Amino acid sequence: MLVAPISEAVTKIVSYRKQQIRARRVANSTGLWLPILLVFALLIGGPGFGNAQQAAQFDDLAGRAAAARDSGNVPLAVELYGQATQLKPDWAEGWFYIGLLQYGANNFPAAIDALNHVLELKPGAAPALALRGLSEYETGAYDDSLRDLDEGVKKGAANEPRNEQIIRYHLAQMLARAGRFQDAMLQYQFFASKHIDDPDLLLGLGLAGMRNTTLPKDFPAEGRELVEAAGSAGYVFLSGDSQTADGMFRKLFERYPTVPNLHFYYGVLLFMHGPDLAIDQFKSEVEVAPSNAAAHAILAYALMFAGRFAEAQPEAEAALARVPDIEMAQIALGRSLAEAGDVKRATEVLNQVLKRDADNMEAHMALAAMYSRTGKREEAYRERLVCLGMQK
Amino acid sequence: MSGWFALGCKSSLGRLAASAGVAALIWLLWGFPSGSPQLAQTAKAAAAPVTCATCHVGVATSYAHAPMRHALEPVENDPVLLTHPRLTVEQGGYTYTVETKDGKSTYTVSDGKDSLTVPIHWMFGQKSQTWVLEKDGSLYEGLVSYFPRENGLGTTPGDGKTDPKNLIEAMGRKITPWETLQCFNCHATAASEGAKLTLDKMRPGLDCDRCHEGAEKHMADAARDNFSTLPKSLKKMDAQDTANFCGQCHRTWDTVIRNNWKGTVDVRFQPYRLENSKCFVGNDPRISCLACHNPHQPVNHDDAFYDAKCQACHGEAKTTAVAAGMAIKSCSVAKDKCVSCHMPKVELPGGHAIFTDHMIRVVKAGEAYPD
Repeated sequence: MLVAPISEAVTKIVSYRKQQIRARRVANSTGLWLPILLVFALLIGGPGFGNAQQAAQFDDLAGRAAAARDSGNVPLAVELYGQATQLKPDWAEGWFYIGLLQYGANNFPAAIDALNHVLELKPGAAPALALRGLSEYETGAYDDSLRDLDEGVKKGAANEPRNEQIIRYHLAQMLARAGRFQDAMLQYQFFASKHIDDPDLLLGLGLAGMRNTTLPKDFPAEGRELVEAAGSAGYVFLSGDSQTADGMFRKLFERYPTVPNLHFYYGVLLFMHGPDLAIDQFKSEVEVAPSNAAAHAILAYALMFAGRFAEAQPEAEAALARVPDIEMAQIALGRSLAEAGDVKRATEVLNQVLKRDADNMEAHMALAAMYSRTGKREEAYRERLVCLGMQK
Repeated sequence: MSGWFALGCKSSLGRLAASAGVAALIWLLWGFPSGSPQLAQTAKAAAAPVTCATCHVGVATSYAHAPMRHALEPVENDPVLLTHPRLTVEQGGYTYTVETKDGKSTYTVSDGKDSLTVPIHWMFGQKSQTWVLEKDGSLYEGLVSYFPRENGLGTTPGDGKTDPKNLIEAMGRKITPWETLQCFNCHATAASEGAKLTLDKMRPGLDCDRCHEGAEKHMADAARDNFSTLPKSLKKMDAQDTANFCGQCHRTWDTVIRNNWKGTVDVRFQPYRLENSKCFVGNDPRISCLACHNPHQPVNHDDAFYDAKCQACHGEAKTTAVAAGMAIKSCSVAKDKCVSCHMPKVELPGGHAIFTDHMIRVVKAGEAYPD
């Protein structure tokens, strides 16, 4: 019950923030969110005051705060909500409004502080998590922002269509910054599938695709042409026009034959539709950047998916020789060894994966294959059951 | 990450593929024996075009009647349309008509006011049949298909929830380039080069070289008495390799698991179901797809035909298995038609067809379909 009105409020504010981003202007937020009308207080429940006088005082403050908010008088609204929350510190709605108003007024530390109160009172409230994540982004607390946005989305903060764009856009940036490039691209895919176009989006997608952890706002102007072009190609691909996208990527490869991660990027996009389609791109990437461990790892992984285990093994080993704990390469190596019947080494490598993540399905699939290949019927059956159980 | 890399063909054509070729996609034991210079000489002497059948006449003749050979049919040869010159059905407020005249077939959808007619070029499936249509450069899966059980048109499997808003949507479901690749690659030969669809080079159905990679070179070389370039032998594949090979189209265990496909619809993924059996193990040829199915021949629908296959493990000749310490059980209920109980027939939801569940097991009365 708490979520809906908060979500509605966030919607208004984040829509506004999105306009700010797109227009690249610093806006005075007053006014845009003022028409917000919420019934939040009723849903939280009545204040538990000891006497009628306090209750009346609280009601008066809450009413005046709402009126100030509705009329666009942000300082007064913040002041009145502040007084009301002093009177009733467990009033989550009041804290949320303070957070919302402060966010809209670009007072991000104050917004975070207020939202901390909300989340203490209502742990896991998705809109508060998302709004705090957006505020943390603005203060440069990127790790916190990623944590909150990620959790907020998992809890449904992006389910409200009007909130979705701003939340996903910032989450995508934070994911790319953290090196979770494929997760970031999934967030950008949302925009492409909805045909939502914007230069910042294209730059962000290009950066994520090319495995660059720089935030779009920090990326130097002189490098934008290539990355935006890469973003455009990826955007077209993700929007469903793979034929046009293919042409765009080919032009990029011709123009920038030695730039790392372009083939990697296209390969990852192709992988979504078939590992065999991506293999050539990953091979090209390895040619462009032979020391790129991630490229060797993903090539090995794609080859493993395509059932080309003998080819996957040396690529996985090449990746692990450079970076010993790339999970993708460990899985590909373990599976390749398993398929080749090298039980000892396969078990050793796969156990490294399972030690970190006991529920790693690919590792269990590799074990099933290994036991099956070597005639261990019951063990193979057991591992298959483990995988089937993970699906439920 | 697994979500990102989840792969799969959501096409209902895949379901019809399974319907068309219940036997596994295999092509091995009987194909391409080692080179026969004598036959090649005969072929040259006859000056006839060299084909696979020039030397492998027996298997080629047999394969001509196998379902996979007819996984996709050109319109002029299609027995379904030739014997059903006018098919029509009304559904969802639209009228569908498939007409065949002078060797050409058309697919028409009408909402009562307007209508849309497109030619049918590609027919997927031998018995149940779905048509892939082309309009304005895009490919669509026809929203209605032909089903032999009903001897008429019905909703294409997987499209049951489609709620068309206009004639084009009513005509069919637009298929992505990737889905198109998968459809044609499993129903035709030479349909793609990498990620590019090559319909100009495509040959309908699964020709020899669809499974026997290198067959064309072998054929060309053999015509010059060179038998050193044989296609890779598929005879040496073990049960696991065979399941994976057939699973290219019939879906591997890995593919189904990675895509998290669940429910009765996965009954059409025979390699996956087979590997879910307790008795499956990769290095035992008695549980290979090929132990029961000859991909060069039509499927044998006689339950008794498979008894010997089951008894290879569960019959009298189980000494090897027992010696190997395996707990092999014998059936206390019956001694024949094993598959009638242990591989039950399952109605494919929306598929207008019944499939044999390849998950071999002791089926208990009233039990739910095991995922």
